[in-house]
Amino acid sequence: MARDKISSLSCPEKWAGSLVIPRYDAKMTDAASDRLSRWMMEYALKPCAIAVCFVLVALIWTFPLQHAIAYPFVFLFFGAIMGSAWFGGATAGFLAVVLSSVVIGYFFIPPFFSISIAKESQSFFAAFILCAIAITVVSSARKRAENAVRIARDELDMKVQARTAELVRSNLEIQESERQLRLLTEAIPQQIWRADATGYIEHCNQHLHDYTGKPLADLTGESFFQILHPEDAPLYLQGWQEALAMGSRFEEEARVRGADGAYRWFLARSIPQRSVDGRIARWYGIHIDIEEQHRAQQNLVLAQEDLSRLSRTMSMAEMAASIAHELNQPLTAVVTHAYACREWLRTAPVNTEKAAATAEKIVQESTRASSVVSRVRALFRRDTEVRDSADMNRLIQDLARVLRDEAIRRETTIRLDLAGSLPRIEMDQIQIQQVLRNLVMNAMEAMAQTAPPREIVIRSEKNEDGRIRVSVEDRGPGVAAEIAPRIFEPFFSTKSEGTGMGLAICRSIVEAHDGRLWTENSPHGGAVFQFTVRALG
Amino acid sequence: MTEMTEPTIRTSQAVFIVDDDASICEGLSNLLESVGVRTEAYSSAEAILENWSEANAGCMLLDARLPGMSGVEFQEKMQQLGIGMPIIFMTAHGDIPMVRKVMKAGAVEFLTKPFQKEELLHAIDHAFAFDQSRRQDEEILNSIKARMNTLSGREREVMERVTAGLLNKQIAAELNLSEITVKLYRRQVMDKMRAGSLAELVKLCERVKATSRSSGDRA
Repeated sequence: MARDKISSLSCPEKWAGSLVIPRYDAKMTDAASDRLSRWMMEYALKPCAIAVCFVLVALIWTFPLQHAIAYPFVFLFFGAIMGSAWFGGATAGFLAVVLSSVVIGYFFIPPFFSISIAKESQSFFAAFILCAIAITVVSSARKRAENAVRIARDELDMKVQARTAELVRSNLEIQESERQLRLLTEAIPQQIWRADATGYIEHCNQHLHDYTGKPLADLTGESFFQILHPEDAPLYLQGWQEALAMGSRFEEEARVRGADGAYRWFLARSIPQRSVDGRIARWYGIHIDIEEQHRAQQNLVLAQEDLSRLSRTMSMAEMAASIAHELNQPLTAVVTHAYACREWLRTAPVNTEKAAATAEKIVQESTRASSVVSRVRALFRRDTEVRDSADMNRLIQDLARVLRDEAIRRETTIRLDLAGSLPRIEMDQIQIQQVLRNLVMNAMEAMAQTAPPREIVIRSEKNEDGRIRVSVEDRGPGVAAEIAPRIFEPFFSTKSEGTGMGLAICRSIVEAHDGRLWTENSPHGGAVFQFTVRALG
Repeated sequence: MTEMTEPTIRTSQAVFIVDDDASICEGLSNLLESVGVRTEAYSSAEAILENWSEANAGCMLLDARLPGMSGVEFQEKMQQLGIGMPIIFMTAHGDIPMVRKVMKAGAVEFLTKPFQKEELLHAIDHAFAFDQSRRQDEEILNSIKARMNTLSGREREVMERVTAGLLNKQIAAELNLSEITVKLYRRQVMDKMRAGSLAELVKLCERVKATSRSSGDRA
């Protein structure tokens, strides 16, 4: 109720304040006068107005009430002082004390209507003033404290609000960036997956789902590896396990089965994401489609092979022509001399002198022909053989890797069945690899007309006699009995483009390694070519 | 077969062997000598061209693969030089395009080393016969040409018109001569060309024309 009055009463004071301004305006700048008027308002006018109002109200109510109460009734003034100090601060409080003292002294303490105070009332008046001052001090202090608390609370409130707004904003930002990231992973036309620290696949992007045609449930954890080609899966898994163990980045090429059941080549890459303490938090993986590159590369290899095969047959043909020429020259001479010799012997009388000379020529030319043959042989013999100790299994594995693309192209699987531990062998690695390559290529060619599945098994084992035996088995038609004895002969070939030298050279290489090369038909229907080489020691 | 071929081989004719391999030359010479054929051996196309004589008769036994000028190139060169001697090619390894080329260019035979004696002698016999008739034709042509060269300008003009079928009267009018003079020239032409009749004269003239036409074609 009191506050209502204050607010209603304070209005004219505000006008007064605003009316004050023009008076100072002439001397001061706008800003300074504004500050001054605000100071006046706050520390002079407002306390004065509050104090005057409260005291007036107390005075008005005291007049009727003093008749009901015998003793000088001043309690309402205490209320006015308390109110002034509360609402107007210490200044208003003390002003109210002064005003109340004057009003009480004048109206309610005898002699009435006089400032002077009777002797007997002086102690009462002094007590009143002391009480009034105490009230002012307490009230204004209390008000200040309350104000301080309120301000502190308000500040806290504001801070909380600001913090909350900040939190909301950053939350939104995180959500937005997450959304952007998700959009990005979906926008990248590659397959992306995420695995936890143990390698368990947790998440795959839409592209991976779309390509494999599988839901997330079929792509998490171990089941993820079922989308890989069975031939590539072991290598992939091995690499992945190594990467997990080492915490290193992982990279492997593998065929991945699509929703339509067809396989395409992918380059799989994965990198670990580490937390602040350096531990691996999760793995991110990407599958990049490299089918086109792979095919192009394969075509390139194919073209190169065709080229080398062509140049090989070309050079073989050229060499054959050159050898034929070299040999035919002395042979022609031998033949013509032989004819001449016969003619000389036919004449009557027999021309013995000419016949003998011609026979001598025949001997000379025949010798020349045989020296040509020796020269050709010398051309093909390698005088310096490079032999060093090598691991046959390693050689076979290397070859299988080299021929992997060729095997895929021919839809042939190369299976290795290698003995656990083999003694090392002293050998010319290039030559032995040439033998192996020749046998495997022959096996592939033998199965060209065979319906899939086509399989070549390369086995290695240790014989009782200390030799190492390597066999190459195919699922082709096998070697026909009538040609079996001839297949190792030079210039014997069942292929239209063959030189007929492959197996002959293979056999001579194996024999140079104190081994044997032979063939059998396998109980499974194909041919088995096998050779032995002597182990070290 | 040898007996059949031997009589036709003339002693004046020889086989000109061109092969860089001396032992081949030697063997061939020996063989041909044993059957009574004269031979001359050369180690390269350049060597035989250096020693070439117009009087050479017989045939050439040419290796397709020669150092320097190859056998095929030599064949072209001979045509350019107007040497008409028939060629028998030999090679240790003949490829079909080369065979086709040399045969089209007029080679008599293509022998693959080592060859049978009969093959060789048959080819030589064939080539000698060809060469002989060629040389005979050439001889006749040369004698006709020589006779023609003895004719005077007027006589030649008269001969051209006579062989073209004009009458004495027409020739006289054309050349602005009297008919008697034309008759005189005509008798002289018949004498100098040693032609017994008008038909014979026409034949002689046609022969020369035919060769000059064909040689013109070749040029």
